[in-house]
Amino acid sequence: MENFEPKIIGFLCNWCSYAGADLAGVGRMQYPSNLRVIRVMCSGRVDPTFVFKALSEGADGVLIAGCHPGDCHYTDGNYNTLKRIPLMLKVLEQFGVEKERVRMEWISAAEGSIFAGVVKEFTETVRKLGPYKRNGLERGGKVG
Amino acid sequence: MTHHKIGSVMVIGGGVAGIQSALDLADSGYYVYLVESSPAIGGVMAQLDKTFPTNDCSMCILSPKLVESGRHGNIELITNAGVEGLEGEAGNFTVKLRIKPRYVNIEKCVGCGVCAEKCPVKVPNEFNENLNERKAIYVKYAQAVPSAYAIDERYCLYLTKGKEKGKDICKLCVKHCKSDAIDFDQQEELREINVGAIIVGSGLSPFNPKDMRNYGFGVFPNVMTSLQFERLLSASGPTGGHVARPSDGKTPRRIAWIQCVGSRDVAKSGNAYCSSVCCTYALKEAIVAMEHVHGRLDATIFYMDMRTFGKDFEGYLERAKYEFGVRLVRSRIYELNEGPDNNILIRYASPEGDIKLEEFDLAVLSVGMKPGQDNEKLAAALGVKLNKFGFCQYPNFNPVSTSRDGIFACGAFQGPMSIPRSVVQASAAAGGAMSVLADVRNTMVQKQEKPPEKDVAGKEPRIGVFVCRCGINIGSVVEVPAVVEYAGKLPGVVHAEECLFACSQDNQGNIKELINEKDLNRIVVASCTPRTHEPMFRQTLRDAGLNPYLFEMANIREHCSWVHSDNSELATQKAKSLVKRAVARVALQEPLYEISLGVTQSALVVGGGVAGMNCALDLARQGIKVYLLEKDVVLGGLTRRINYTMDRRNIRDYLRSMIEEVQGNPLIEIYYGAKINNVYGYVGNFITTGTSLKGDFEINHGVAVIAIGGREYKPVEYLYGKDPRVMTSLDLEEAIAGNSQMVEDARNIVMIQCVGSREPDRPYCSRVCCSESVKNAIKLKEMKPELNVFVLCRDMRTYGFFEGLYQRARKMGVIFIKFTQDNKPRVEQVQEGAKTVLRVTTTENVLNLPMVIDADIVALSPAILAPEDGEEMAKLFKVPRNEEGFFLEAHVKLRPVDFNTDGVFMCGIAHAPKLIDESIAQGKAAAARAMTVLSSDNLVAGGAVSAINKERCSGCRICVDLCPYSAISFNEEFKYAEINQVLCKGCGVCTAACPTKACSTRNFSDEIIMAEIEALCN
Amino acid sequence: MAKLNLALYWASSCGGCDVAVLDVNEKILDIAAVADIVLWPVAVDGKYADIEAMEPGTIDVCLFNGAVRNSENEHIAMLLREKSKVMVAFGSCAVSGGIPALANFKERDEVLKRVFMETPSTVNPEGVLPLTRCEVPEGTLSLPEFYKYVHCLDQVVEVDYYVPGCPPTPQRIWDVVQAIVSGNLPPRGATVGATEKSLCDECKRIKQNKKVKRFYRVHEIIPDPERCLLEQGLLCMGPVTRGGCGAQCISANMPCRGCYGPLPGVIDQGAKYISSIGSIMDVQSPEEVESLLETIADPAGTFYRFGMSTALLRGANR
Repeated sequence: MENFEPKIIGFLCNWCSYAGADLAGVGRMQYPSNLRVIRVMCSGRVDPTFVFKALSEGADGVLIAGCHPGDCHYTDGNYNTLKRIPLMLKVLEQFGVEKERVRMEWISAAEGSIFAGVVKEFTETVRKLGPYKRNGLERGGKVG
Repeated sequence: MTHHKIGSVMVIGGGVAGIQSALDLADSGYYVYLVESSPAIGGVMAQLDKTFPTNDCSMCILSPKLVESGRHGNIELITNAGVEGLEGEAGNFTVKLRIKPRYVNIEKCVGCGVCAEKCPVKVPNEFNENLNERKAIYVKYAQAVPSAYAIDERYCLYLTKGKEKGKDICKLCVKHCKSDAIDFDQQEELREINVGAIIVGSGLSPFNPKDMRNYGFGVFPNVMTSLQFERLLSASGPTGGHVARPSDGKTPRRIAWIQCVGSRDVAKSGNAYCSSVCCTYALKEAIVAMEHVHGRLDATIFYMDMRTFGKDFEGYLERAKYEFGVRLVRSRIYELNEGPDNNILIRYASPEGDIKLEEFDLAVLSVGMKPGQDNEKLAAALGVKLNKFGFCQYPNFNPVSTSRDGIFACGAFQGPMSIPRSVVQASAAAGGAMSVLADVRNTMVQKQEKPPEKDVAGKEPRIGVFVCRCGINIGSVVEVPAVVEYAGKLPGVVHAEECLFACSQDNQGNIKELINEKDLNRIVVASCTPRTHEPMFRQTLRDAGLNPYLFEMANIREHCSWVHSDNSELATQKAKSLVKRAVARVALQEPLYEISLGVTQSALVVGGGVAGMNCALDLARQGIKVYLLEKDVVLGGLTRRINYTMDRRNIRDYLRSMIEEVQGNPLIEIYYGAKINNVYGYVGNFITTGTSLKGDFEINHGVAVIAIGGREYKPVEYLYGKDPRVMTSLDLEEAIAGNSQMVEDARNIVMIQCVGSREPDRPYCSRVCCSESVKNAIKLKEMKPELNVFVLCRDMRTYGFFEGLYQRARKMGVIFIKFTQDNKPRVEQVQEGAKTVLRVTTTENVLNLPMVIDADIVALSPAILAPEDGEEMAKLFKVPRNEEGFFLEAHVKLRPVDFNTDGVFMCGIAHAPKLIDESIAQGKAAAARAMTVLSSDNLVAGGAVSAINKERCSGCRICVDLCPYSAISFNEEFKYAEINQVLCKGCGVCTAACPTKACSTRNFSDEIIMAEIEALCN
Repeated sequence: MAKLNLALYWASSCGGCDVAVLDVNEKILDIAAVADIVLWPVAVDGKYADIEAMEPGTIDVCLFNGAVRNSENEHIAMLLREKSKVMVAFGSCAVSGGIPALANFKERDEVLKRVFMETPSTVNPEGVLPLTRCEVPEGTLSLPEFYKYVHCLDQVVEVDYYVPGCPPTPQRIWDVVQAIVSGNLPPRGATVGATEKSLCDECKRIKQNKKVKRFYRVHEIIPDPERCLLEQGLLCMGPVTRGGCGAQCISANMPCRGCYGPLPGVIDQGAKYISSIGSIMDVQSPEEVESLLETIADPAGTFYRFGMSTALLRGANR
């Protein structure tokens, strides 16, 4: 697995986490390039379907980051995230997917270094887990 | 000579207060010059890590306002500038500004930072309170607005050593700047600006404790100020948010906060006032520090009185004590000394008079607020009076005015105050300026002609991609030509090119030309973050006749070249992927249109107390029709029971003249005995029905202000209602004012504080009672110096300048005795012969012995309760209340008079207990906020918001309650949910929750996000 | 007008769909009047050879129920596809895997091990597992190959129409037959016999804004028959499920199990449900969320009861 470069999709809320990622940039904090970011206005926009879709499309890990609870630009949109994602993780586990492949983080607009740290750590976690194996996609007859 | 009025305003000071004033004015049809003395706006709030009592990240909530001010078409930022002189009068002033050179061209600088990297001069970083260093060419802080760098002429090698002698010393910045932005030829400039009104929000300077020898600041490395500690906590501070003490970088396990450093201190600093915010910020710093070190911290706060008097502060104090275990020690500090290992030894006296010594790893001095450094000079230049402390002297009952007409004041220019109060004052000051300039509204604002928009409906995407080199910022890491080549082959792309600076003026022209020449109907710019640059590029599209929403950015700088500078190959690969995502997304984006709705040019003000009346008058002064609803048959509210204010101003006369003014104003229609039955509609278009003494009413209004006041708690404690000698403080005030015999005959008067406040049932501080009792005590002592007045209190919360009254009362011989919540005074009737004695027993805290007072009058300071009709009002206007029943503002810090529901505002005690001046300011602030809606005939709504397809909505009602802006309502007749385009903010929570895909967020639809996922994964 | 040639087939299924066809009651005679039933294993004897002998296109309409669990299912599916003008995935199993596809939480080897070795009533000390071929003195015995996962019909052959339901309701079946007979067919690929709105649209219960403090399993409470079941904490799949069934379970005071599948455009019924109910959980702190989630037994099995073959994480995308 040494040479495995995981593909990681990140959903970042515009107001805090995306700004935190920007700040990491401004601070020239170096982190692995595996993360690819999709900007949403609020982490509460993230439908678990997106996460499952990302995994089924070949992502090895998914990061969902929003404002700290209580800090949401939209008052309480991130509480939706805080409730949905744990339920999704339970379902994910039942599917036999390692929970560690999906990570929920609260990252503020001032936490550039925390963002960089999360990306580093998460990339390593996913790298260790290895590629996400998509199952059941083969046609029945050919799998035997 | 008659001057014609000018529809522009100058706001002096770019802190949070100045920013708020500027935004309110600019949104209400005035052109604003926002003048800041440093190279960037943001003020002290930008330095804070978190804000109390919500522990919101300070930068997170401030930064959107910074960006908004920076790009607002009606705000002109003038940095590095100070006021030299002023001529003219209200309505038409000429301000003379002295603008210092920045030596960097703001238009050209792209904020890449190469200059600072190359600059050889290291200087103390003032933004980080000198805890680390920056370069002589610098940006104040990472999120600064404007984001351009500036050269510090005090330190720059060329400016200090070369320029005068004509020698080309250093100039490394010039050499390395790819955008040719460094300009050493810039000269100091004197500029005269014509404005109609001026707002001063010039802020504060933190008290510097270096002269207070006993604290050892500047001598012992491990003694720091609270603002330094704030930087230490900040993730973007010198230690990256790592709590490390200066001497050895170790994580401290024992931290002490010392309160009232440079506050409440006549002797050493001469600052006799209370700085109002330090108690709560110390609690905050303790809590946040605790979180940083995961609870492994002994946090101790040494204080005199714990003054957590603001809304929700008392609960914050309780949490600090019980949830986080912050230790609070009431004490007097003698001195700080250095012990072994650079630890700090604190010698203090406990309330019992014992002298104690304790050791800490770090001591934080909770420094007070002083007037801004240049206040005196500024006040002289403007011709406004300052008080004896150097803060603004404001006229009676006009808390945001100054001694000069047409000049208003807000924020810490007026005195020490918290962020929300500053923001309230700022809006109120903006309202003041609007009143002066009501007839010249919309005369100076910028209007732009827009070309007609191209119709792209049904057309195949023709995408143009512009990949920015950003000088070397992107170009030196990402292989830009390879990205351009890759982009050119993506589906839908008909043009791809690179540019040196995508944001440059000539590139905007280039984009516009290409849109027309190649019939491009969608644009992708791969450059920096959309958070700062998207609005500008959208404008370019619009100028070219393309809908601004047909645009997307790929952030290949902040999210790529800057963070992967060590691996060009991977960075290029990622850049391609990000461009692919943007292209896939933009192909699916639709043109969005903002809709324009009429605004009913009138306001409904509910509640005719001081707050409501001030609000109504300010609105009427600006030509707005106001419907004032009062449930009682007279105006005045709670203030009718107040006879004099603390500083002996005549409140009665004030109230009488105010009522006369309201009643006499032809634009204000008063409904007495009013009761609301129903409220329909939304911002700009409300209809309220109800009944009043005049009969049934149906009122059309554009905004609503809730100013329904509060109530006095009827005590059940201390024999209230059982002995006529036990009364409330308002009763006592009436007795004093009415020269009652009871007061005349009294020898001992006992006042008991916190009756019903700061109790488990009502865990908040009623804010006004300490000052109210001190006021009464002084009045009594003045009338009868021989009278014994005892004030039994838990903490004496005479914040701000009221501290002076507290000192005065003590000097006059009023006796203050502290009690604790678990050891309250006892009041009982004792039969002594024929006489029934009213006996008060309390524990004297120095001697720790019971003290018995036979009182002639016991005056209780009862809690202020939320309005009784609050619940009803909350339902009618669909607005929230907090646990105590007071109304809940949209944002505790930055939107203190707004509700989350657009077009509904609040002021006065309905928001939280407060003093008259604070209610007045809030009433004015609510008016100014309301004017941001009413200033235009039309409201612009829509854009990237959510909508529900009623054909698909199945009526499950899952979404209805999720919207924090009450934008979603349920159509009971046809059983589907609807989203009000005016109220929706486009967060997309409802779209995620909708089980049937009836709901969709424009340009954040499932299809678009799925396309992004596919683009990034494959 | 010539009579239609109609085939009904069951693959990996319980037989409920066939019974549902009979549940049209006397109308079966009307069906017989307009159609010749050329194949219906549950009712009429038929042989593989008979189908094999047909010319391609002989069958006008094939109602195929059941999932594809093994090679025999797939073989017949392909055979019937070849012989049929119109192939209909009939019932939840054929549409999206149905109950049999719940096995997709495990792979074949785990399933076989469990069934043939670990169940309490099994005595199999040698650990004998089924083989596709087995030599015995009498010759070679063969069994269909048991696949790694359960598939729905359109994962092995092209499908013209989908009729969801476990089983489809008789009224809806009758509607489908009428549509076929009249030739009044929707565009290929359409879902027939279900509405474009969710079950909530036809559910008669009183619905309010939703806040759920805890979830219950059906045996734990007797719900108020007038009020929305989800609001009472029962995990009713109605909001994410197409209507068309007549809300039968709801009428029996039981929550919807989701058999009519997701709404048009929703690509993963379970994920959508997580997204929806995640929002109405009336809790705030992570700890409260955790303890509320404890009250959901088997979330994945509940949310994907009928849709495992098409689930993003284990199925193929339609």
